[in-house]
Amino acid sequence: MKELNYSYYPGCSLHASAGEYDLSTRELFKALRIGLTEIPDWFCCGATPAHNVDELLSLSLCAKNLELADKVEGDMAVACASCFSRLKTAQHVLGESDVKRKQVEKAIDAPVKLDSNVKHLLEILAKDLGLERLAAAVNKPLSGLKVACYYGCLLTRPADVPNLDCAEAPTIMERVIEAAGAETVAWTHRLECCGANFTLSRPGVVLQLTNAILESAKAAGADCIMVGCPLCHGNLDIRQKEIEGVYSTSYGLPVFYLTQLVGLSVGLGADKLGLDAMMVNPMPLLKEKGFL
Amino acid sequence: MSRIGVFICHCGENISRTVDVERVAAEIGKLSGVAFATDYKYMCSDPGQNLLKKAIQEQKLTHVVVAACSPRMHEKTFRKAVEAAGLNPFLCEMANIREHCSWVHENREEATVKAIDIVSMMVERVKKNRILPGITVPVTKRSLVIGGGIAGIQAALDIADCGHEVILVEREPSIGGHMAQLSETFPTLDCSQCIMTPKMVDVANHPKIKLYTYSEIELVEGYIGNFQVTIKKKARSVDEDKCTGCGVCMTKCPQKKIPNKFDQNIGMRTAIYVPFPQAVPNTPVIDRDNCTWFKTGKCGVCKKVCGPGAVDFEQQDTLVVEAVGAIVVATGFDLYSIDEKPKGSPIKGYGEFGHGKIPDVIDGMTFERLASASGPTGGKILRPSDGKEPKQIVFIQCVGSRAREKGISYCSKVCCMYTAKHTMLYHHKVHDGQAYVFFMDARTPGKSYDEFWRRSIEEEEAVYIRGMVSRLYQKGDKIVVMGSDIAVGVQVEIETDMVVLATAVQPQKGADLLAQKLGISYDKYNFYSEAHAKLRPVECATAGIYLAGACQGPKDIPETVSQASAAAAKVMTLFSKDKLEREPIVARVREAGCVGCFACKKVCAYGAVEEKEIRDRQGNLIKVVAYVNPGVCAGCGTCQATCPSKCVELDGYTDEQIIAMIEAL
Amino acid sequence: MKKKKMVISQETMDVDFVRKVEALSGTSVRRCFQCGKCSAGCPMATFMEHPPNRVVRLLQLGQWQRVLAGRSIWYCASCETCTTRCPNKVDLASIMDALRKLSWDAEGASKESYVQLANKLFLQNIRTYGRQYEMRLAAVFNVKSGQFLKDLMLGPKLLAKGKLKMFHSKNKNMPEIEKIFTRIEEMRKKGEAL
Repeated sequence: MKELNYSYYPGCSLHASAGEYDLSTRELFKALRIGLTEIPDWFCCGATPAHNVDELLSLSLCAKNLELADKVEGDMAVACASCFSRLKTAQHVLGESDVKRKQVEKAIDAPVKLDSNVKHLLEILAKDLGLERLAAAVNKPLSGLKVACYYGCLLTRPADVPNLDCAEAPTIMERVIEAAGAETVAWTHRLECCGANFTLSRPGVVLQLTNAILESAKAAGADCIMVGCPLCHGNLDIRQKEIEGVYSTSYGLPVFYLTQLVGLSVGLGADKLGLDAMMVNPMPLLKEKGFL
Repeated sequence: MSRIGVFICHCGENISRTVDVERVAAEIGKLSGVAFATDYKYMCSDPGQNLLKKAIQEQKLTHVVVAACSPRMHEKTFRKAVEAAGLNPFLCEMANIREHCSWVHENREEATVKAIDIVSMMVERVKKNRILPGITVPVTKRSLVIGGGIAGIQAALDIADCGHEVILVEREPSIGGHMAQLSETFPTLDCSQCIMTPKMVDVANHPKIKLYTYSEIELVEGYIGNFQVTIKKKARSVDEDKCTGCGVCMTKCPQKKIPNKFDQNIGMRTAIYVPFPQAVPNTPVIDRDNCTWFKTGKCGVCKKVCGPGAVDFEQQDTLVVEAVGAIVVATGFDLYSIDEKPKGSPIKGYGEFGHGKIPDVIDGMTFERLASASGPTGGKILRPSDGKEPKQIVFIQCVGSRAREKGISYCSKVCCMYTAKHTMLYHHKVHDGQAYVFFMDARTPGKSYDEFWRRSIEEEEAVYIRGMVSRLYQKGDKIVVMGSDIAVGVQVEIETDMVVLATAVQPQKGADLLAQKLGISYDKYNFYSEAHAKLRPVECATAGIYLAGACQGPKDIPETVSQASAAAAKVMTLFSKDKLEREPIVARVREAGCVGCFACKKVCAYGAVEEKEIRDRQGNLIKVVAYVNPGVCAGCGTCQATCPSKCVELDGYTDEQIIAMIEAL
Repeated sequence: MKKKKMVISQETMDVDFVRKVEALSGTSVRRCFQCGKCSAGCPMATFMEHPPNRVVRLLQLGQWQRVLAGRSIWYCASCETCTTRCPNKVDLASIMDALRKLSWDAEGASKESYVQLANKLFLQNIRTYGRQYEMRLAAVFNVKSGQFLKDLMLGPKLLAKGKLKMFHSKNKNMPEIEKIFTRIEEMRKKGEAL
């Protein structure tokens, strides 16, 4: 079996509010014997604010990061759905538009490299490693845990850009976590927007959209939510208490990163998964299910 | 003693859902004369018909009643089956327990009792049915086609190519119809004249087609296979045999300012004229209302300059009688006008669009003539008022159509597509111009149609605005269009140079009068009615008469051509046999009782009643009685109801039978 | 503006602006046939005065002032639902990006300042530090937007969970980032980019 090695682009959030995503990713990959080398001196992809108001800047930032990644061995492993979306979109747009590619080459003063493979962690687990090998590595299956897999917007949309899975009926998250022994629930809001773009500027909008997502997951009988994006996590986890207050309800739904849950199943301890960083305390649930 | 077999059909669940069919069979089985009664899921199916045939043979049945759907639906089916089993087909009757019973009732008990009554009545009636011999009539294998537009041309060519003679009658001086007026055609933008004129020439040259232009149908007599049609040939004032079509008469005619109807009256013609250069035949006619000779008795220039001496001021209208076996009606359409209409007319005009008084508000056909390379402007889009090129042009769809209050509720079907075409033609001709279209819906259900419409927007830069226009008014040399964009939800105002109205498609004027001559039915708009909307779309209810093109309802060219070929195929089916079998349900006169009052003759709509002399052996005339020609009689029964001495009876519907049915109740 | 009658002519339909939108977004505005599917699925439609389909409709009529005067473009979440589901392949999410970009220079554009401010600060952070530091971003946003107490209760909790980094790490690519920003500015000055 070929050794798996990746250049790692954590993105800004994983070095700040989503530290546990970064920690659990590194630990999980170590446990699965997948090589992960952080791209030295990577910088921000521009995220939504850049493309929102300045596409050329957004494309240039992404192109520069792609160039940096090219210097490290292996395909590019991306943890954050937003970074993933921006890098994939940049590759797509620059591949289609000669005009835009030339402008970007001028801005970064270097040729644009489009041939590197940008992969979200889910893709690495489900396709490169493969569900069989993943299942074989599981030693503490998450039996009886009902997981609501939340994709949000940017993992799958628009249809022909990320190419991670079907834009309207994706199953990749479910397949990964089922390989780890968990159950998944069918629910209505797994592809709805949480309003991440407005976290700073219009938190009221976020509360409304995120509440609908939490409500749907709860109604479907989920024990917890699994995400692959630090921005979604920010809204679902960090703002959950506030939402419960505003809407006079109680959800108590721990929101895990996919690496945290998969990490649990391969026997990693709470300290290696950053579970203490979660705002909605997952410990009672994990203890009740007998995983810790 | 009759041995009647009765077969009750479930019609899937259509009948059995509300009627207890087993009980009906049991009750009917008890009636006197009934030898066999049963029920079956689908009597019209193969196994159902076999059941019937087997029963006729095994039970030695003498009469059959099938209790099922309407005789209009399956009477033929069951009579054929009965005939195959060796019985005369007219000893089989249908009792309608579906349309007349199960479909209109909900209470099962009541419906069952009613079904028993209906079947019992038919049992009593069939007992008195007589063996009827089939009637055959000869078929004249010549066809009349009325209307020389694309529908009539296509039907005439198809029938003639099959080797049958065709009489093609056209009201105007040339064949070609509306299609000859069009500039380019959707969705391929091929030039209408380029594809039309070769067909017109084919008609003129076809050895099997006899062409009457400038002619109208005067009278239609007879019936399927045997029509006599009187055609009025209007005086052309030009001898068609002598005229060479050189056109000198037209260049010399001093009357040059007569609005040409072919150019929607924006172009001018002379008093002796052909409507357009490619006319077929290329023989001019003299418009006597506008000719100086006919108005004052002076001039006669055309006659003087005509080398072959073809101009003939003395020519009169003549009547010609042609015998044909089938008639294709292809009289086409006319466009709705927004002009003020007489008070009380169900069709109203558009005062809010200026009642046709604003010169640069034109209809779609006028735009076609402006866009046509052979039109009055040589293909330039110019305003009728001042001849300037409009830089802003507004098209308005659904004018007249889909406007119940204006008198028309139907969709005219072609306007969405031709308006899209107009925006393209405009864009091709006025590069710096802008076309706007006000529309309610874009209806584009045809092959490559929606793509065509989208092209007008995406590539040809037409701006479509969803919303109907409220009002138009002249302001200086502009026309102000007051509309709204319902997608945005705001009022829209455009000051434009020209407005084109996609006015509704209506039947030709006088369509109702022609229908009355032909004895065919038409709807409240005067569109001709087909025998069945889905299964007999090109046939009239009147046998031997077929429909093609927009006279039956709004149609575009591909659809018209398809329907014309379909009508031709129906004519050829009719002509494939030398004799025609007719249903022998006809009236018979009891000559002994007939007093010769001929009340029956007066009321017969088909001219089937003749006078017959009764003579003794020595040849002395005893009396004159009525005789019904079985080849002509349509079996309507009017004579039977009229006869004061009760001496005419319709087979299958005799008084005796009707009384027996009533007594069965 | 919203209800005002629209006078349409070649003069009032600003085709040049629409062409810029089409060039930036790489999508055709004319393709849209107003089916409304974008508005039907938009999570933010209820917050907008012009729902997504109407934004496109107004562009078709060259009426961009009406679009930019409103806050609709600032309430787009960039979730890409519209683009994903459009039956005509109209990339509405990219049209929204283009409109936001063009609104910077346009007269009469909306004063929907919070989202603009957040975006501006975000980009400034990249220019200065190479990466985002959420706490700094939030703090500066609150100060600049005058909402000193916004999310006040969250701060200490996040700090306790180690979610707010007080210091930023060194990035040796910083000069390169600054160059990218400068080059783009120069290209715009020379008219080499929109």
